[in-house]
Amino acid sequence: MIHVQDLVKRYRHSETAAVDGLSFDVRPGEFFAFLGPNGAGKTTTISILTTTLAKSSGTVSIGGYDLDQRAKDVRQSIGIIFQNPSLDLNLTAEENIRFHVSLYGIYGYRPSYGMMPQPYREKVLELAEIVGIAQDIFKPVKTFSGGMKRKLEIIRSLMHKPKILFLDEPTLGLDAVSRRSLWTYLQKIHEEEKMTIFLTTHYIEEAEKADRICIVNHGRMLFSGSPEAMKSLMVGKYLLLDAEDRDSLRSELTGFGPEPLEDGSLKLRFSENTPQNILAQIKTPLSFMRLHEPTLEEAYIDLVSNGKDEEEAS
Amino acid sequence: MSIRRELNAVVTICARDVLRYLRDWKNSLLFSFFFPIAFLGILGGTIGQNLSGGLGYDYMQFALLGMVANLLVQSTMMGVTSLIEERESGFTQEVFVSPVSRYSILFGKIVGGSLASVVSLVALFIVAFATGIPLSLAGIGRILLVTPVVFLSGGALGVLLSGVFSSSPKAVDRATIMVMFPQMFLSGALIPVKNSTGVLDVLVHLMPATYLVDLLRGVFYQGTPVYGQVVLYNPMFDLMISLALAILFLVAGSYLFVRSERNR
Repeated sequence: MIHVQDLVKRYRHSETAAVDGLSFDVRPGEFFAFLGPNGAGKTTTISILTTTLAKSSGTVSIGGYDLDQRAKDVRQSIGIIFQNPSLDLNLTAEENIRFHVSLYGIYGYRPSYGMMPQPYREKVLELAEIVGIAQDIFKPVKTFSGGMKRKLEIIRSLMHKPKILFLDEPTLGLDAVSRRSLWTYLQKIHEEEKMTIFLTTHYIEEAEKADRICIVNHGRMLFSGSPEAMKSLMVGKYLLLDAEDRDSLRSELTGFGPEPLEDGSLKLRFSENTPQNILAQIKTPLSFMRLHEPTLEEAYIDLVSNGKDEEEAS
Repeated sequence: MSIRRELNAVVTICARDVLRYLRDWKNSLLFSFFFPIAFLGILGGTIGQNLSGGLGYDYMQFALLGMVANLLVQSTMMGVTSLIEERESGFTQEVFVSPVSRYSILFGKIVGGSLASVVSLVALFIVAFATGIPLSLAGIGRILLVTPVVFLSGGALGVLLSGVFSSSPKAVDRATIMVMFPQMFLSGALIPVKNSTGVLDVLVHLMPATYLVDLLRGVFYQGTPVYGQVVLYNPMFDLMISLALAILFLVAGSYLFVRSERNR
């Protein structure tokens, strides 16, 4: 669905490339999370993919259309939710949607909602009902909260039935309740419509449900794979154990390669062994035990920090 | 099908500008009346009182026509440059990622800005009637006939500024002001320039608005005894120069805009 090969973007008057040879593919129906710290090249990449910024070199095709040759077809096949709301605050929610469908050539422009075709009116009310803003659909957007604006942008971006939905930090500035309700709906449309989703976000937990994660830093790819692969690759699982008689505990666990921590407790990484295997070897009474399951956030921090360390060392 | 879609996009962009203007009617009306009152009533009035004796024609009527041309150029130009001012936020982002030609976007902004300017034109005529400036219906009709050229020129100037300063909303804002004021004072809109000489005369002839102001006066004063005193050139000459400049600005501005919009 998205094919990116050796993508490079060097801004004018800049010595370094914002995107430096990125290559990746996104499959149809995939939920693809594109992560990275500030300045990693995420927004530059998404701007290129959504045709608002020209690349310096490389090949990009979206929905089967070459970005350089068929930019209009690319725009027709994508929906975008920008980092900053792209709504006209002086218009009502419905007027924003009406202008969108007219720009995308789905319906001819009509000066009022009542003059628009029946299918349009039904679709607007149906989507507004689903996302929970049906009561406010004819109110000016300037009276909307951040969460309502995001929901309106989602309705709008779905009106032309895009094959791919680009979400550039869609929950930035939203409270926890709004974020959860937005994601519930996004997951629903992803599952029901089999829509490809391309997400950039700072909230790592939002990428937990992605089919695939791509991590970039300084315009280069650091990792590409499933969230599970990332977690296991980067930090793995481990047991933390401690006992009054630490020497005895250490000698019992020699075969598992215990790593003593600063406080004297022992860290045992396990990937092939299970915690049960390890615990079965222990006769020494334990004073402390904790099983550590890695989070995606830890893996992400690990990955990005290692990248930084390597750069500093070189 | 494609042309129909582009036309629909032009209508949509234009309708949005008009709707926004009407929705913000309090501010729109305030500014529509503020400028005519400020420039025509106060500035024009002061100049008129001090010059009228030696001019041999009705100065306020002369200044009104200058104001019409200037106001329409300015409001259409600013309608187009708002595209740059709003680019990083708001609805303009949405417009740029829609499957619509950049040329249609620019054209939609020109038409939208022009239609919104009509309100300013009406306000100007109301101020004129209220202050007793003589305006014949035939004269107003002839002015309305050539206003599309004024709109086109204002829009073309806006496109040129948007193309040259597309990367910076602040720069386009400053450039708009830098273009507006010299046009107002050197085009002969408020101050007669018929007898200008030297550098001032060169500057007068470099201002695109000079030919628009003169075009409006040319058609308005046609067949009147003061025609020779107030009009610089034959209206056909003004029309040709104005159209040529508009086409030049449109071509150069659109090219720069489309190119620089993506090549940051």
